[in-house]
Amino acid sequence: MSELSLGARFRLSGARARHLVLGVRIVAGGAIAAFALSTPGFISPLSINALLNAISLIGCVAVGMTFITLTGNIMSLCLGATVSASALIFLASLSFGVFAASLIAILFGVVITAVQGFLVGSIRANPILVSIAGLSLLIGGAALITGGQRIYPSGEGLQMFKGRVAGVPVEALYFFATVLIGQLVLSGTRVGREMTMVGSNPRAATAAGIGTTSAITYAYVIAGACSAVSGILLAARYGSGDMELGAGYDYTAIAAVLVGGTSIQGGSGSVLRTLVGVTVIAIIEVVLLLRGFSQQLQYLITGIIVLLVIMLHTIGERR
Amino acid sequence: MLAVGIVLALIDQGGGYFFSLGTVFSVMQLFATFGLVALGLGLSMLVREFDLSVAGVVGLAGCIAVMTGVSNPWLGVLFGVGAGVVSGVIQGLIMTRLHLSSVGVTLGGLLTLQGLTYVLTENKTIGYPNIAVALGLNAPIGGLVSVRSVAVLAVFVIAALAMTYTHIGRDIIASGSDRRASRVAGLKTDRVIIGVFAASGASAAFAGVLLSYSLGAASPVALADVLPTAAAAAIVGGVSVVGGRGSPLGIAAGVLTLCILRSGLSAIGVEPHVHDLVTGAILLAIAVLDAPELLQRVTAWRLDRAERKA
Amino acid sequence: MPILAVDGLTKRFGPNEVLKKVSLSLDAQEIRAICGENGAGKSTLVKIITGVHAADAGTVLVDGTLTEIADPHHAQELGIALVAQELSLAPALSVLDNIWLGNREVPLFHRRKELRDRARAALEKVGLAELSLETPVSRLGIGRRQLVELARMLTRDARVFILDEPTATLSDVEIERIFAALRALKVEGKSVIYITHRLGEVFQICDSVSVLRNGELVGTRRTAEINRAQLMEMMLGRSLREMYPRWESRPGRLMLEVKDLWVPPVVQNFNLTAQRGMVVCLAGQVGSGATEVLRAMAGLAFEATGEVRIAGQPVLLRSVTRAQRAKMQFISEDRAGEGVFLRLNVGQNLVATRLGDHSRFGILARQALRATAANLALAVGVDRARLRSQADELSGGNQQKVAFGRAIGGDEPGVLLMNEPTRGVDVGARADIYRLIRQFCERGYCLVMASSDIEEVLGMADVIVSMYRGRQVAIYQRGQADLHRILADITHPVAAA
Repeated sequence: MSELSLGARFRLSGARARHLVLGVRIVAGGAIAAFALSTPGFISPLSINALLNAISLIGCVAVGMTFITLTGNIMSLCLGATVSASALIFLASLSFGVFAASLIAILFGVVITAVQGFLVGSIRANPILVSIAGLSLLIGGAALITGGQRIYPSGEGLQMFKGRVAGVPVEALYFFATVLIGQLVLSGTRVGREMTMVGSNPRAATAAGIGTTSAITYAYVIAGACSAVSGILLAARYGSGDMELGAGYDYTAIAAVLVGGTSIQGGSGSVLRTLVGVTVIAIIEVVLLLRGFSQQLQYLITGIIVLLVIMLHTIGERR
Repeated sequence: MLAVGIVLALIDQGGGYFFSLGTVFSVMQLFATFGLVALGLGLSMLVREFDLSVAGVVGLAGCIAVMTGVSNPWLGVLFGVGAGVVSGVIQGLIMTRLHLSSVGVTLGGLLTLQGLTYVLTENKTIGYPNIAVALGLNAPIGGLVSVRSVAVLAVFVIAALAMTYTHIGRDIIASGSDRRASRVAGLKTDRVIIGVFAASGASAAFAGVLLSYSLGAASPVALADVLPTAAAAAIVGGVSVVGGRGSPLGIAAGVLTLCILRSGLSAIGVEPHVHDLVTGAILLAIAVLDAPELLQRVTAWRLDRAERKA
Repeated sequence: MPILAVDGLTKRFGPNEVLKKVSLSLDAQEIRAICGENGAGKSTLVKIITGVHAADAGTVLVDGTLTEIADPHHAQELGIALVAQELSLAPALSVLDNIWLGNREVPLFHRRKELRDRARAALEKVGLAELSLETPVSRLGIGRRQLVELARMLTRDARVFILDEPTATLSDVEIERIFAALRALKVEGKSVIYITHRLGEVFQICDSVSVLRNGELVGTRRTAEINRAQLMEMMLGRSLREMYPRWESRPGRLMLEVKDLWVPPVVQNFNLTAQRGMVVCLAGQVGSGATEVLRAMAGLAFEATGEVRIAGQPVLLRSVTRAQRAKMQFISEDRAGEGVFLRLNVGQNLVATRLGDHSRFGILARQALRATAANLALAVGVDRARLRSQADELSGGNQQKVAFGRAIGGDEPGVLLMNEPTRGVDVGARADIYRLIRQFCERGYCLVMASSDIEEVLGMADVIVSMYRGRQVAIYQRGQADLHRILADITHPVAAA
């Protein structure tokens, strides 16, 4: 009988369940905020800066990952490598000028992911397998072309991405711009709405005449563009690059997406939620740092909190 | 699809240098390294879940084994595998009691386990002074295998036997094929899920223990990139991502295929980046050929062309 | 001594009293139908008997003994077995494994001869003697799968079999097999509770029928002692003459021409012409090709070939976008799987096909979309207050109306393709949908409908096309054919076209 009673306990009717979940989220958010604000040194320019720095780079990738998850394709294991590769392309193209180099890098990121998106969208190839294939091809291709050497900027122009405007790091501005554009595309354009529908129920989307192939391809394209932006910012920050730059970004990105509350099954979520997710994770990291936890404990506690928040979100979703 | 992998492996032998004992040995060593992780991940895929935490378990178990197995290596194995089982059971309990999806839970699990590993090792590499064990594990037997690869093969055999000859295998496939139906039919699917995750944790943990012992050291960042390879191996080996299809032997074949690819390419003297490219190309080919709607699109396109001409 | 009896059963969910003092008793070797509209309390009654819910008042007696059925496992131990509409078979496993799936008796090393023998015996009893035990269930049709599930219940020594809408998706051959199996069970001393909307079957296979209405038991009668009309009156509390609206056929211009439609492997050489303001019904059972024809016309069949013209313009098949551009819209029979986006709200569902009309340079005009959603809701009779509710909160009938709303709404009326439009919809909502269909007709739509419910076909169609095994059997104008004629066509046609 235990299985039944647990099920019965969570079987709240639709609207009531959603209110409960909202309440729990507000309480949790409040707890984290309180925790943060009560930390000495949190509201200082130094720590705010650290916060913004932390979220800008990974945040762009997380925005891109959101689109892939929303269309029901779970995640991509290739975005981190796309970040690194775009960074390398950017550095190598600086001799054509900053704007051209940025364009080329973004184009590159777009093409890489567009191919993946097309395969996943048109013939429904396994998205995880396709992203793994992409990962291998990118790593191999990069090694082939660069011969394992670090790439250095071939021209001037990195200044555009450094420094501050009105006290806010430029990188953060680019990140917020990405978030804004991403959210507008998602909620305000036809393609964005179609992406949500495809993720919610692919069969119904096909029957309704929604272009599943194009919706999924566009989702991947956006992911590629966002990764490229992140790559450009990374290249600017470190002044040189290799394929290790973006390693591991995939897991943090998907964690941010899930912590923000986007559903892993697709069809439910938004870019703003991912912004919240990225911020929450970054706040936890900074707070732990300020409170003097060792780096290892930071890692551990962040992991546990991520687990708890994800559990919190998915409890509300289950019917 | 399995056939595709084997055919490719056969083609690859045209390099000439392939069939030497040394190559087989290196293939088996690679197999020993990745095999059990792929088995763990593959088992979780059989029940329509995805255990992201295997990467973390490998590191954690390796560290625990190295730290506790100095005097008695079996003690290290016990604690290491035990840690894997515990991690699997906890995650399985969270998933079943709270009706959560595995990607979220195991992602959190992965981060937590990696964190734990960092804490335990204080971010340093821990050496394993028991050299005898390290050497013993990797000593070639008959030039083909080592104790390590035999152990891994044994685990695969046990898993295959259990799946075929006991109802455990049926229950796992049923839970993956249609969990709701199985539950209604009376199967305790919760127990199956928890058991599968315990097994996947144990499997990955054993892999970590063996690896750490044989390297003579355990490092928190050991095998951080193991996840894509293990997933690819399982999928190539016939495990379906939506559950209900696959077997331990299939997974073993998938791992072997990828290892043969890697070793084979090194053996015929290509540089490492080429085999990333080749692996990527082959995985892409498999993804395309195995895609559910490939036939539909091609047929529709063909018919469109025919009708437009008319 | 009745094998199963309930007395004064009452159940409340919140403020709703779903079952009010229901009493009935079932004897051994009796096949009892339970009929009632959706919401009458049938499923709650079944859930109490199978241990899913506990009654708030009243008693359950098994073999005359007062029993409290604690949970589904306990119910099975008592010999009460449920074959639900959603089957509980694992497609990846074989017949043998599915029969023993979840059975606690099975030992660890499971390939015992005894298991095979008992499974074989059970299969024989349900009429599947020639089926190999190793066949993967995924290869079996739905009819056979149901029989496998019956066999599973037999191995658990069930004595009371509860079948919930077993024949909704079966062909006539499969239905006969089920009936034969039920008769065999009866001979063995078992009893059957048969829940169905299909009143014809009640008289075909059941000994008696109990009717529930609004949570109360209206009465129990022997099927030999009443007729259909009386049964319907018991179910609805009123007579059902106004189910199908009356109308005057006013066909307009030629709208739809279909020539040489082939949909491998089922449909061969299908032809059709239809005008505006007309309802064409494709009458046929599962496998007759009616569904496949509709889906092919809608653009969902990737290997279909043939010529289709809408208002004289040729339309290429195999693409939903092309069909929609030609103003041909499809309404699926599978609401949850294909018709409705359950996680989106009603408004978003309604405009799902209209996004192109209200976007400039790809940007959505939200106000316009909201207005359109409100209009569509009005047109199909969905309460505007529900526009922001999630679609999965609606009843089956309302969801079907949303599916309709999505298909209309263009500027010019086109062709509507409806597959089994009233499947799983209760009698009250069905009348609403039939009215809607006629309204669309009057607005100038051309409707093509596939249905296996002959009464529905006779009540709604201007033109009837009977189909059998992928071929057209005959075409009738309204009034030219009767129930027996069409039934003969779709089950055992004398000469196929």
